[in-house]
Amino acid sequence: MDEKFRLSKDAFLKMAEISGLDTTDPHMEELYSFIRGVFPGLKDIEKLDLGGAEPFMPSISVEGGPK
Amino acid sequence: MISTEICHLSARQLGRRIQKKEISLVEVVAAHLARIESLEPKLNSFITLLPDQALDAARQAEKEIREGRYRGPLHGIPIGLKDLYYTNGIRTTSGSKLFDAFIPPFDSTVASRLREAGTILLGKLNMHPLAYGPTGENAEYGHMHNPWNPALIAGGSSGGSGSAAASGECTLTMGSDTGGSIRIPAALCGLVGLKPTYGRLSRYGLTPLAWSQDHAGPLARTVEDCALVLNAAAGYDPNDPTSIKLPVPDYTRGLTGEIKGLCVGVPKEYFEVPLDGQVKEAFWKAVGRLGDLGAVVSEVSWPMYPDSMAIASTIQMGEATAYHSKLIRSHGSRIYPPVRLRLEAGLFISSVDYVQAQRARSLFYQRSLDLLREVDLLAGPTVPVTAFEIGETKVKVGDTLVGAIALLTQYTRPFNLNGFPAITVPCGFSVNGLPIGLQLAGRPLEEETVLRAAHAYEQSTDWHRRRPPI
Repeated sequence: MDEKFRLSKDAFLKMAEISGLDTTDPHMEELYSFIRGVFPGLKDIEKLDLGGAEPFMPSISVEGGPK
Repeated sequence: MISTEICHLSARQLGRRIQKKEISLVEVVAAHLARIESLEPKLNSFITLLPDQALDAARQAEKEIREGRYRGPLHGIPIGLKDLYYTNGIRTTSGSKLFDAFIPPFDSTVASRLREAGTILLGKLNMHPLAYGPTGENAEYGHMHNPWNPALIAGGSSGGSGSAAASGECTLTMGSDTGGSIRIPAALCGLVGLKPTYGRLSRYGLTPLAWSQDHAGPLARTVEDCALVLNAAAGYDPNDPTSIKLPVPDYTRGLTGEIKGLCVGVPKEYFEVPLDGQVKEAFWKAVGRLGDLGAVVSEVSWPMYPDSMAIASTIQMGEATAYHSKLIRSHGSRIYPPVRLRLEAGLFISSVDYVQAQRARSLFYQRSLDLLREVDLLAGPTVPVTAFEIGETKVKVGDTLVGAIALLTQYTRPFNLNGFPAITVPCGFSVNGLPIGLQLAGRPLEEETVLRAAHAYEQSTDWHRRRPPI
C-alpha cells in the first residue's frame, strides 16, 4: 500500500461505524479494498504548494472568471 | 419523406421544414415514436416514454404554427431529457429504482425553457444511476447500448442521451456533466456535446451529483443544434445561486466557418497519460485540419493538468456523499453496488481533504486562465479510447490495463473543475467503425469561440453525416 496513505482495517471499521455504516455487512471488505485503491491517488493534493490559496468560491466575482 | 429520414434531420433542418409547414408535426413525432419502438429493444435509451403526451403536444404545436404563433427554430423539435431533469408531473428517477415513483411537482428551469421554445418531449432518458459513473451501465433499468455496436457502452452518465440522439430516436437530447457525462457519451456515440461555462445553464431542478461541478448541456448531431439549444435554455435563473447574470448572445451568429488566426493550444501533458493509438492519430489529423482552416496551432504546457484528477475527484466525492448522505445510511444496500461504493467512500473524505482540494482548485483555475491568455482554445481528444464492452472495469490501452472510470474522464474532468466551456465534435472513426471525439475548450463565457471553431471543423469534414448501422 502507498506510504502516503495508511488506513488500518481497525481504523477503517471505526470510521465506518462513526459514519453510520453497518460494519457487519460483508460489503465492508469491498469498501475497504476500494478505499485503499482510490485514496492514495487523492493524497497527491498534499504535494501541491497551496500557500496563499483560498478555497475556490464560484459565486464570487473574479476577473475573467465565470461570474 | 420516409420516416427514417425525418429522424436523421438536424434540428435546424427539421425546424425549417416545420416553419415552412412542409411537414406535419404529428408525422414527425409519429416517425420518432416508431423509431423508438423499433430500436429500444437494442438500445434501451429511455426510462419513461411519453407517446400520448408527445402526440398531443405535436397537435398543439401544429395548431400554433398554423395560426401564426411560431415560437422559433426549436418549435416542434422532438427531444429527450436525461432522467434527472425534474419534469412537473412526470416521474424522474435519476436512474435509480429508489426514485422509481418520484414525481416532481415542478419543472427544472431548462426543461421549462425548452418547453417554452416549443420542443416536444418524447420521454425521459436512461442514465448511469444517480449520474455517478461514466459508462452508462445501469443494472436496474438496463444498460444503455451504443448504436454503433450495441455490445459496447454508450458512455455516461448521460448514456441514454447519447444513444437516443445518435440513433435518431430524438433530434436533440439534454444531459448533465460533472466529470464528462455529456462529452463522453457524445464522443463515444459520434455526436456533438456541449458543456457550457459553469453558471451559463441553470442547474435548478436537476438532481445534483456534485453541485460545484455539475453542468447542464445538449447532445446533438451538429454544432449548430447545440447553439440553438443554448440560445433557448441559457440565461440567468434566480433559482440557481450560481447562475450568471449576463445577457445571452445569439450563439448561431458566429458559426461562419471562419477561424483564421485563432490560436489553438495542445497541452503536451495530454500525451503523458494513456491514449489509444487510433484516437491519437485521429486527433492529430483533426488538429492538422484546424491548421488548414487557418488556426494557429501550438504546443502548450499545463503543468497542473495531472493534478486536476485528484482535486476534482476529492471534491466530487465529498459533495456527492454529502447530498446522498441520508440515502446511504437508510437505503445503502439498495443503491446500485458500484455507485454505493463510491458514495460510501466519500464518507472517508475529511473536511480538511475537501477544503484543501478547493484551495488547490483555486490554483488550478488561475493556471487555466493563465494558459488561456496564451491561446484562445485548448484542443485534445475527448476520450482516450473508443467505446468498449459493457461490463469491463479495466481497459487495455497499449500494453497497460487502466481503470475505466479514470480513463474515460481523464480529458473531460479538468473542465468541470475550472468550469470552462468545452465541446466534443466527431473527428474520425476507428478501424472497427467506432466514433472518436475532438474536445475544444475555451475561456469562461466564450462559448461563441468554442462553437465557432467546432463548427468550422465539423463543416470541413463529413464525420457528423455518418449514421450508426442500426
